[in-house]
Amino acid sequence: MAADKSEVLQGTLDLMILKTLQALGPLHGFGIARRIEQLSEDVLTLNEGTVYTSLLRLQQKNWIISEWGVSENNRRARFYSITKRGMKQLAVETENWERISAVIGHVLALEAKV
Amino acid sequence: MSDRALTFLAKLKALFAQRKADSVLDDEMRLHLEMLAEKFEREGMGAKEAARASRRQFGDTTLLKQRQRELRTTMFFANVWRDVRYGARQLLKTPVFTIVCVLTLSLGVGANTAVFSVMHAVLIKMLPVQDASHVFYLHTSGYPDGASQTGDPSTSFSYPVYRALREQAGLQDVMAFIPMSWSGKTPVRVGTVPEEAAGDMVSGNYFSGLGVGMKMGRGFVQKDEDDHAPVTVISHGFWVSHYGSSRDVVGKTLYIKSFPFTIVGVAMNGFEGTEGSLPSDFWIPLQSRPEFNAWGAPAEQGMYLTRLNLWDMKLMVRTASGVSHEQALAKAQGIFERVAYTGIRQKHAGDETYHLSFNEAKQFDGQGDAFARSLKMLMAMVGLVLLIAMSNVVMLLMARNSTRQREFSLRLALGAGRKEIARQLLTESLLLVALGGAAAWIFALGATRALGSWAQIESNLQPDGLVLWFTLSVLLLLALVFGLAPLRAAMSSGPEMVVRSSATVSQASSQKVRAGNAVIVTQIAMCVVLLVCAGLLLGTLRNLLKTPLGQKPEGLLVFGINPQNVHGKEESIAFFVALQQRLRTIPGVESVSMASERPGSGWSSNDSGVLVDGHKPNGLEPGQASYRKNTVGADYFRTMGVQVVQGRDFSDADSGSAPRVLIVNETFAKKYVGTLNAVGHVLSDPTGHETVRIVGVVKDHKYTSITEEAMPMLWTVFTQEGAVNQLNIEMRVPGKPMAMLPTVRKVITQIDPDMPLLEPMTQSAIFEQSIAQQALFARLAGCFGVLAVVLIATGLYGTLAYRVSRRSAEIGVRMALGAQRLQVVWMVLRGSLVLTATGVAIGIPLAMAAGRGLESSLYGMKSLDVASYMFAILGVALVALLASAVPAGRAARVDPLSALRLE
Repeated sequence: MAADKSEVLQGTLDLMILKTLQALGPLHGFGIARRIEQLSEDVLTLNEGTVYTSLLRLQQKNWIISEWGVSENNRRARFYSITKRGMKQLAVETENWERISAVIGHVLALEAKV
Repeated sequence: MSDRALTFLAKLKALFAQRKADSVLDDEMRLHLEMLAEKFEREGMGAKEAARASRRQFGDTTLLKQRQRELRTTMFFANVWRDVRYGARQLLKTPVFTIVCVLTLSLGVGANTAVFSVMHAVLIKMLPVQDASHVFYLHTSGYPDGASQTGDPSTSFSYPVYRALREQAGLQDVMAFIPMSWSGKTPVRVGTVPEEAAGDMVSGNYFSGLGVGMKMGRGFVQKDEDDHAPVTVISHGFWVSHYGSSRDVVGKTLYIKSFPFTIVGVAMNGFEGTEGSLPSDFWIPLQSRPEFNAWGAPAEQGMYLTRLNLWDMKLMVRTASGVSHEQALAKAQGIFERVAYTGIRQKHAGDETYHLSFNEAKQFDGQGDAFARSLKMLMAMVGLVLLIAMSNVVMLLMARNSTRQREFSLRLALGAGRKEIARQLLTESLLLVALGGAAAWIFALGATRALGSWAQIESNLQPDGLVLWFTLSVLLLLALVFGLAPLRAAMSSGPEMVVRSSATVSQASSQKVRAGNAVIVTQIAMCVVLLVCAGLLLGTLRNLLKTPLGQKPEGLLVFGINPQNVHGKEESIAFFVALQQRLRTIPGVESVSMASERPGSGWSSNDSGVLVDGHKPNGLEPGQASYRKNTVGADYFRTMGVQVVQGRDFSDADSGSAPRVLIVNETFAKKYVGTLNAVGHVLSDPTGHETVRIVGVVKDHKYTSITEEAMPMLWTVFTQEGAVNQLNIEMRVPGKPMAMLPTVRKVITQIDPDMPLLEPMTQSAIFEQSIAQQALFARLAGCFGVLAVVLIATGLYGTLAYRVSRRSAEIGVRMALGAQRLQVVWMVLRGSLVLTATGVAIGIPLAMAAGRGLESSLYGMKSLDVASYMFAILGVALVALLASAVPAGRAARVDPLSALRLE
């Protein structure tokens, strides 16, 4: 592909958010968006609004919870944190991801040889 | 809980917090955009540029909001709720349409539910006993000559038969139960007021064998039967009504026929005994006291336990599990054949063998005949009514929805899916059916009660689970039909319809017209069938009502008296003679007499064998001279209002010491004495003993029922007969008979405070009751006929009015081209007359078939009664004419100019 930036897959965004919340503790939506931007080293583009869709989905599954708090520059913001269920799910998803990416990497390597 | 379930719960919760969630999201988005803009500014952008860049990076806020909203909650409820609200608005917009539909449905479905629930209770419902498939009523094809039988011949058995079946037949249980009086009711006293309650004497294994549990206390055991213990089990209903559901009822005393019985148990709720239409209030073990003879018969005629040729016990059996119905029956039959003649005589070769049969343990035993047939006929009639009602509503819906065709095509054009429109229509029809169904259920509850009381069924008939299912499935079917029928019309329009001119729209497709015509023709045909049936049944009722009774039942009060503390022949006769004297002294009473069987109640004593003046009666063999007999008191015929043709009435002088006398009716005199001048002839039994002189001849009059043919009958006076247990007092009073009741009650209480008036009623009511069933069915059939006519009138009117309104453009053109108003009127009328004629032509053969089915229920009518057919045809024609008159008039008033200007 010619473009140097990739679209974020839906499922992967959920996974990234879960991981971010696990690593950094409670964060607001803006913080999560910054963190993903930073970690992806500008490879992934993100309509930052989609973060909120993802957050809603995760809340409905009870993987994360939210509460009102005060941001670093004294603004009222909604902070999201990961739940026990979310932790478990993250472990499962991480393992899944690793397995699949290994398999896909393997398959792609094979094809390259042929 | 799974993720999916959690998500669904979260969505459900969100349903109630839509607004709040929206504002939270707004806040979050605003904050995010501000922080993003600040970040860009820090990186060196201008304020405006930063704001724009932040919006770009964030994405479309409106789209996000919409997506969040969809994701947040489930759209299903919102959609359904929206459809329901829209449907309700549509129904409110056309209130007349809605009311007509709901009423039509509630009558149609309600009548079906009511009739079905009665049919279910009477013909289908099993006794609420454990494992009812193993329980049977025992029936016999007959009983040996020489046996003395009481009750229904097919369900009466002797004590030896009961014992033998029980001990030898290998059946798991044989339960016996015996009514304690003819009416099934017995005098009882709970507190101080004597009253009547229904009760049976039963075997010790009655409850255990049937498998009926106790609400509290215990059922009977074998020892109770063996000791004839003075204990009783009361029904749940009696416990509630007489003991206020008191917990400490066990151990209390219930006085039955003035004897104290200790209450040992309360039967399970729902069990009302095994007597069918009369729910039992209490049960006692088989008793041996003379006062507790089977059917309340005088003990002088023999006690059921000791006189072995009395056939008066009803039996039920429970077959052992693993034994088939046939095996058990075969075994029981063998025993039965061996013991049937016990106590009567030795069985001879060539004597008839009688056959046992097992009848299923239905709530009502042996309701197989007239009542069942009438119920089935009624069910068919209400089915027809429902069909008419349904097609009516469908036509109304289609008519209404085709005026909505523009709406549908507009919605299709605007991008509504066909699925959405289908859902919308189904929701509307469900709403309509739900409204109609609720009204129908209320109607059915009342109608069932009314049906039960008209049919003289006191046991519980209220709709139960199965009936509810029946109604719900009918309703569901209706909802589908109503939803789907207009769907095709709605779909066929298509989005392009909206741009077409009204002229093309106004042309109803010929296919649709034909379909509508077929429905109307079918309706009219069914209406003819219903009206003919109604006419035949109402004619029957009219014949019944105008049949002369030969007596004057008006102004007569009747009640039974069963003295408790009177024993033996002399004492009992003296008691009733004194009672008659005492009652005569009540001011206003014109005359008092008594009868052992109430005229009109259906009971009759039948006997045969008589000699006239020592010779064969009019040349007949004495044994073939059968006659009816009643034992009455002095002044009987004067009191009843029966004309004495010759001789005299019974009088006080006809005492036990006076010469024995009797009175016969005209048929008896003609048939057996050979002349109407029968006074002075002497009758005797075939052996020539017991001579009795005829002192009077009375006019033939109705005895058991209105429909009977005149039969030979004779009357004797009770003062010259055996002991009397119970007599019915007939009192002729001025004014309303029931108004005399309190005075009579006071007099009777003075004589004996424990003695209730048994079944007090007017003599007219007794005769009315004897035709209550026919009257019930005739009146219901009449109601259904009227209902059908009303339905057809509305259906026809609705359809024609709708067609005329759609054809107003065409009519306008016709008139503009010179058509006369009369021609236009004729055009509309002709259409409806052709439909009516076709419907009638199809309906008549159907009605003839239905009439043949009714034949056995008719009295004094032929099934091809011309008047009924004329009445049906004229009725339908008249209704059709009236229903089309209004639309025809409207067609005539179409103003050609304005009709054309609409184009």
